[in-house]
Amino acid sequence: MDIFAQERDRLLSSTTRTLGLACAAVSIVALVIPGVTDPLHLAAIAPLAALLIVALLFVTGPRARVWVPVGLAAGIAATVVALLPAGSPDDGPLATAIIPLAGGATAAFSLMLSSSRPRLTTAVVAFVVEITLVALATGSLFTFPVAAVLLGWVSCFVTGLWLGRAVPLAARRIYSIGNAHRAERQASETEAQRRQGARLLHDTVLATLTLLAHSGFGVTAQALQDQAAEDARLLRHLRLGGTPQPQASGDYSLETVEESPLGQTLESVKQRFGRMGLEVSWHGTGQVLLPTHVLDAFLLALAECLENVRRHAGVTEAHVTIIHDDSMVRAMVTDAGVGFDLAGISEERLGFKESVVGRLHEVGGSARLFSSPGSGTTVVLEAPR
Amino acid sequence: MSVDENTFGIVRGRRAARGLPISSTGARSLRQARAAGATLGTGYLGVGAAVVAALQAVYGLTFFLSHLSAYPDVTPALVSWLLYVATFIGTAALVTVRGERLTTGVFAVIGVVLAVVVALDFVAVWPLHDVGAYATSSVAVGFGLLPIVTLRPVREVVVATALLFVAFVVMVAASTPVTSDSGPQQIAVVALTVLPSAIATFAVHRFRRMVQVELDRVLVQSNVSQPRFAVGMLASDELARLDLAAEKLLDGVANGDVPLPLSPKVASQAASLATELRLHLIEGRRETWLHHAVTESEYLGRSVTLVDPSSLAGLLAPPQRDGLLQGVWLLLGDSKSRAPGTTIQLTLGPVTAASQSFAGRSVCVPVVVSTTGIRRNRVTPATWNALERAGEYTVSTHESSVKISVACIVDNPAET
Repeated sequence: MDIFAQERDRLLSSTTRTLGLACAAVSIVALVIPGVTDPLHLAAIAPLAALLIVALLFVTGPRARVWVPVGLAAGIAATVVALLPAGSPDDGPLATAIIPLAGGATAAFSLMLSSSRPRLTTAVVAFVVEITLVALATGSLFTFPVAAVLLGWVSCFVTGLWLGRAVPLAARRIYSIGNAHRAERQASETEAQRRQGARLLHDTVLATLTLLAHSGFGVTAQALQDQAAEDARLLRHLRLGGTPQPQASGDYSLETVEESPLGQTLESVKQRFGRMGLEVSWHGTGQVLLPTHVLDAFLLALAECLENVRRHAGVTEAHVTIIHDDSMVRAMVTDAGVGFDLAGISEERLGFKESVVGRLHEVGGSARLFSSPGSGTTVVLEAPR
Repeated sequence: MSVDENTFGIVRGRRAARGLPISSTGARSLRQARAAGATLGTGYLGVGAAVVAALQAVYGLTFFLSHLSAYPDVTPALVSWLLYVATFIGTAALVTVRGERLTTGVFAVIGVVLAVVVALDFVAVWPLHDVGAYATSSVAVGFGLLPIVTLRPVREVVVATALLFVAFVVMVAASTPVTSDSGPQQIAVVALTVLPSAIATFAVHRFRRMVQVELDRVLVQSNVSQPRFAVGMLASDELARLDLAAEKLLDGVANGDVPLPLSPKVASQAASLATELRLHLIEGRRETWLHHAVTESEYLGRSVTLVDPSSLAGLLAPPQRDGLLQGVWLLLGDSKSRAPGTTIQLTLGPVTAASQSFAGRSVCVPVVVSTTGIRRNRVTPATWNALERAGEYTVSTHESSVKISVACIVDNPAET
């Protein structure tokens, strides 16, 4: 809240300065009209008016605490000096000329004097002194200058009070808007996490989109349509607020892999590759309980390996053997394809390093690649349970 | 208005000032906040302005009634006052009933009525040949503009004030011989008529700007509570858009609306969609809260540059983030109205070992705040208080602009 107090003071002091300088200017213009007062008298008023103007200029700075009393004193002193020789109501023009100075430029400081008890006391003292002086100078409390100065002070004080109180009111509204915005941001973040978290879903969508980008070359139209329908269904599911992932409690998957209905399962991976012409045979355990993010990474890596087989091995069959113990789950992807020289083909070219090794590394797993020309390829994937 | 649609009929390109898509939830919430910000608290100010105007009306009326005998024909002035009081009360009632707004039509009617008030008053005081001494209801009109300052756009009030000023100057010049006796009075009365609404326009403008700046700050501050890396308000909207586009395309393929094999055009759309989607899935989470704060803020975004290649800002604890953000804000806020060439560069890193660290559990992220156009003596104490919360700081001056090095002690990320 101290920032708002600072903002309030800044608003009030800049208003004080603008109002004060404008009124001082009006007063000076009126004073220098020939005949309003004699040059000697004007010369006596001038330094005090100048001090008042300096105080007004510095009132927005860090030393406002000093400049407000200085300005008030200068203003009151200027009034005294200006009205000194008058003492009678018939010196109207001079009294009128000094009104903007007394009831405007000096009163402007009261804008800043409503926020605490000492300030309020200062304002009241200055006000009483000023009014008394003007009343003495004009001979009565019921004269035009007294009323005008009174109006100036009251208007300034009310304005300051109101401006000062409007700031915390606005601050409260602003904070409630800020809270609403924070909630909005969190919701946005959660939503982005949910969508980004559906990585396996996006992986299949991306694979399908890539196929479409190649005009579906190499895949039958029927297979592509089936795949597109499946992916569109998953995306719709995601859009409607579902999380097409294995149901999770805390960090741990509660469903067996084979029962997951939404395509992250080994079975759906198998179907997907089946549609694209690669027959995948599963061996070993069919139920793996894994933390969601590990399962995601593991399946993504597996799918990436199978994609490599489909693209590069030149065979239509691949074998996946899944074994697990208490701490690790391993998958061995083997094919009897063309194989390749590990030294000859960089791993990056197969997208192996980023999409397989990188993903498994993220969840604390690893991947190893064995191959030689003519004798197929074997990839061993490991992930912690 | 040209709308950039992608091939799936989804509006994509149009961006609001902050880089959020104009249709996004994020942009919508910002827009709503800003719309509210335009009137935040000004209704309350309007009541205050009405109080001041009423005080002046009482003063003017008292003066008028005490000088009734001076008028050769008092009727126009009397009618003028009745009209003014009626307009004042009517407008106040209307605004109270209708809520804090004044439609253009109603404002036009009020403007015409106020012009009639001024004209009638001038007719009444013309034979007296001293506008300064006897103008009453026409002066009150100047104060009557005060509450309107909070209800109508600034330029309309400025025009109304200017017209009033011209009317007074012409009237004074035409009817009153300006001598050393009457001169001060004329100047005082013209000032009394014009200054209130001019000053009020200034104050309300400042107030509105303050509300806008604070709103911006509060909105950006919501970044402080984010995780080390976050996606920002932009990401989920973009991702949702891409997902929807993919869904539509895939749906089209599935039910045969898009014939296979795909035409080259659709195929290339699929390719670009895949690329964008991949980028958003992979790249979305590389930016820190500070990056989002700077890019989302109108005030910071203009003059703050961030150099944080290792994303170290993410390591800062929420109180440190709050302090740093507020400190930068105050540094900028203090001088934004003065020097247009004000810039701040935030450089984070490289990490050094913290001297008072226990077995390397914490490290020090040095943050260098280098500025141009911010003099050291213009920096307020609140700025130093804020920066203190970020860490120990040292201040130096570089090319007459302040330069601050903050040592933020954070938990060693390798330990957590």
